[in-house]
Amino acid sequence: MKYRNKVKAFLKKPQNVILLSLAFILVYLTVVPMITIILDTFTVHQSELMRVKGSKVGDLTLYHWGKVLFSSSSKKIFYEPFLNTLIVSLGTCFVAIGLGGLVAWLVTRTNIRFKGIISTLFIFPYIMPSWTLAMAWLNFFKNSRVGGAPGIFTALFGIETADWFAYGPFPIIVVLGLHYAPFAYILIGGILRNMDANLEEAALILKASRGKIMRKITIPIVLPAILSTFLLVFSSAMSAFAVPAFLGTSVRYQVLTTQMFRTLNGLNPGYGYIMALLMIGIGILILGVNQKIIGTRKSFTTITGKSSNIAYINLRNFKIPISVALIVFIGMVCILPLVTFAIESFIMEPGNYSWSNFTTLFWVGEGNPQIANGEPGILRNPTIFNGLWNSIRLSISVAFIAGSVGILAGYAIVKKKGTRLSTMVNNLAFFPYLMPSMAFGAIYLSMFAIKRGFIPSLYGSFALLVLVGAVKYLPFASRASVGAMHQLSNEIEEAGTIQGIGWTKRMLRIIIPIQKSSFISGYLLPFISSMRELSLFILLVTPSTRILTTMLFQYNEKGWSQYANAINLLIVLFVVGSSLIVNRVTGASIDKGIGGH
Amino acid sequence: MPEIRLKNLTKRFGKTIAVDNLDLVIQEGEFVTLLGPSGCGKTTTLRMIAGLETPSEGEIYIDETCVFSSEEGIDISPDKRNVGFLFQNYALWPHMTVYKNISFGLENLKWDKKKIKIRVEELLNMLRIAEYGDRYPSELSGGQQQRVAIARTLATGPKILFMDEPLSNLDAKLRMEMRTELKRLHMETDSTFVYVTHDQLEAMTLSTKICLLDEGLLQQFAPPLDIYHNPSNHFVADFVGSPNINILEARGNNVNLDEIKLDSGSLEFLFAPTTSSVNIRSNQKLLLGIRPEDIEITDKGDIQGKVYSTLPSGMETIVKIDVNNIILTCVVFGGVDFEMGTNVKIAFKSENNVLFDRVSKLNIASGRLM
Repeated sequence: MKYRNKVKAFLKKPQNVILLSLAFILVYLTVVPMITIILDTFTVHQSELMRVKGSKVGDLTLYHWGKVLFSSSSKKIFYEPFLNTLIVSLGTCFVAIGLGGLVAWLVTRTNIRFKGIISTLFIFPYIMPSWTLAMAWLNFFKNSRVGGAPGIFTALFGIETADWFAYGPFPIIVVLGLHYAPFAYILIGGILRNMDANLEEAALILKASRGKIMRKITIPIVLPAILSTFLLVFSSAMSAFAVPAFLGTSVRYQVLTTQMFRTLNGLNPGYGYIMALLMIGIGILILGVNQKIIGTRKSFTTITGKSSNIAYINLRNFKIPISVALIVFIGMVCILPLVTFAIESFIMEPGNYSWSNFTTLFWVGEGNPQIANGEPGILRNPTIFNGLWNSIRLSISVAFIAGSVGILAGYAIVKKKGTRLSTMVNNLAFFPYLMPSMAFGAIYLSMFAIKRGFIPSLYGSFALLVLVGAVKYLPFASRASVGAMHQLSNEIEEAGTIQGIGWTKRMLRIIIPIQKSSFISGYLLPFISSMRELSLFILLVTPSTRILTTMLFQYNEKGWSQYANAINLLIVLFVVGSSLIVNRVTGASIDKGIGGH
Repeated sequence: MPEIRLKNLTKRFGKTIAVDNLDLVIQEGEFVTLLGPSGCGKTTTLRMIAGLETPSEGEIYIDETCVFSSEEGIDISPDKRNVGFLFQNYALWPHMTVYKNISFGLENLKWDKKKIKIRVEELLNMLRIAEYGDRYPSELSGGQQQRVAIARTLATGPKILFMDEPLSNLDAKLRMEMRTELKRLHMETDSTFVYVTHDQLEAMTLSTKICLLDEGLLQQFAPPLDIYHNPSNHFVADFVGSPNINILEARGNNVNLDEIKLDSGSLEFLFAPTTSSVNIRSNQKLLLGIRPEDIEITDKGDIQGKVYSTLPSGMETIVKIDVNNIILTCVVFGGVDFEMGTNVKIAFKSENNVLFDRVSKLNIASGRLM
């Protein structure tokens, strides 16, 4: 009787019910897939029946691990791509933090001009699909040695770009670095904005020089944020697929993700899963290090102070040159790519930028059998419209599920803060972030290709895309929501409880309205992410569920760059447009979702 | 010789004026408090003197040296002004130990290691935080953090010390204790203190001179007791003193030779100025200020009232008395209490009652009530 009452009392609290259900669902959707692929890496498949002597399908084997890690070909299969991944990820961190940190410092601490425009435009590369910049790079700098027609740069100046400059690690690092610089900008800027300016002023009064203040006060205090950024950017860069695929494949520069795409798509999924596991392992390691750093003795919680009266550093004579240089640079990174897409999509024969070569064929043409198999222009092409429609409804469904579940998760996690269940759900909800998108897609493909319990076979269905998207982007929503709930005093809800207001009404009328903009950010980020996502969905789409990004990838693979550029332009305008509208209407923004302030 | 001099100091933030044309001379060795309600410009003034904020107009001199002049374009940076600054939220560096926090300023002065160690230990002992040298700020209580901040500020031995509401984050008991220590510190260090607070009690008890500001304008600059007994206007009278001064609206007329007859509707007084004789217009609208401790509850009193409420605290009792629907506050010293609703008689015993003009709010005269 006593236990029954205890259970009853436990289940009466909504936060307990939410945590319990989430624990079950998330274990099923994240831990089970993990275990599945771990097992899969030890299993004999049909395809390697011949190579593993005397075995049947389903037998246990160490063949895959041995082949990937300890065989004569493992250098080519694993170690080389692994090393490349490390180089690319480290380089990306370097570029992203250097650039993002510098801009964050300029905006929060100096009297630089155009702050509003800078902070709006600088977020763009993160909103835009990551390969946007990669394609722009190709449009600009590709040379004839590798990929047919030369780019705009060569056309304008007549200088053939070098291979290392056009393809491979250098452009990958630059492009990924630019893509994640806003990330660093938001995180470091958030700390700088919250950091009490008195801390610096105190040092100034004690006669420390500007340089010494920077070295001894500002940087050490911002260091945890920099490290966090470093780790997050590192793991994101590590699992990036599209950029290395666009810029590296043509010179056979393989990283783990591109290698994974080949193996998962090709003969031996076991190899791919092993790589995925190793990447997840690195991800978990990174997360652990990150939490260790945040939880040290020198706790930085004392940072929050009122810093209403910041005295900006006067850049004096450098003010105008630096402001202008930054605006020009940001314009080049954010606006120019779009211009190149527009130009490329109007060109008949790639590489020829003379006026007579311009055509509207790829936008509104009826299709010419001699060009691209008679594919009609994208504005009168039913397949494109179908893809656009799929992209939109996919993104809306994913955002709706991830955002709503995220709100509930954040609510329950904060309510039961400190309990084991709450910590577990918090970690489970963050776990998908660490899974490389491509591997995540591959796992869901194998897991839900057959009927499982009450879940029917989902292969080729739209529901599978929604499911994988919702789980993958849950971390964004739950982070935003946990952050929002932390700022909300418990008493605000208790005041409602005392008056006998039911839970649903408390949520809908009190909690959600107060933290509206943060919660909407929790919807916005999954929406934008799935709108521009490629690697998560690339293994899962079938012709009927094709979305814009996968179509873009296919057009690109076929070499129909005009279509690819046109679609790219379409995606970027749609994503940037919708996020600006949401921001204007509701005040929600990307930076709130990432954890900036 | 004057130590700090402000001339026509003005600070505008956009369209709002934070500090309006402030003139102030702070002598060497004084303990001056900038007092006023929040948003009156006191912190801004302090930050401008320290060089953390750039004034819009005016001049600042420290020790006869011009450190800021809008006309001549002089703006000496904070580190060259030789001042110390104690921040409201302490601004301890979270990534440095207590020892490091205190030694930082000395290192900047290129002291050698041994001398630094001696000096830091001296300060740690002086502020009774010797056992916390190796801790980080987040591991200390508010009071301990406060002491570290003071030690850090004192370390370099500045002759001028600025303090921005340094006690506002402490609990009442600790605040009391720190007040005593600050006053001792002022004496021991022989420095000039400029102190910002919104707490009138703190200003009254600590300073040698109070500078009272409201909406960026200087209201009065005088020693605490002068401010208390001879407030320059209604705002000053009302801001200083707890419980608040009683203010009665009245109309006045000159009577006899130099007395004023006051009529506040239900009560009539005769006001005899003790400062100098004053002439007022007939039926001039006035405000009469009577300090609570100047109202005596006595059987010899000739005004009849009823006890409206009492707040006994042991040392004193604050009694509100209803006199013909006017509520007067008075303070009775000692552990006495009154029954609510009983009839009492009151008398006005002091010569420090103040008369203000109701329109200009300015002090007209102090005097006795009869």
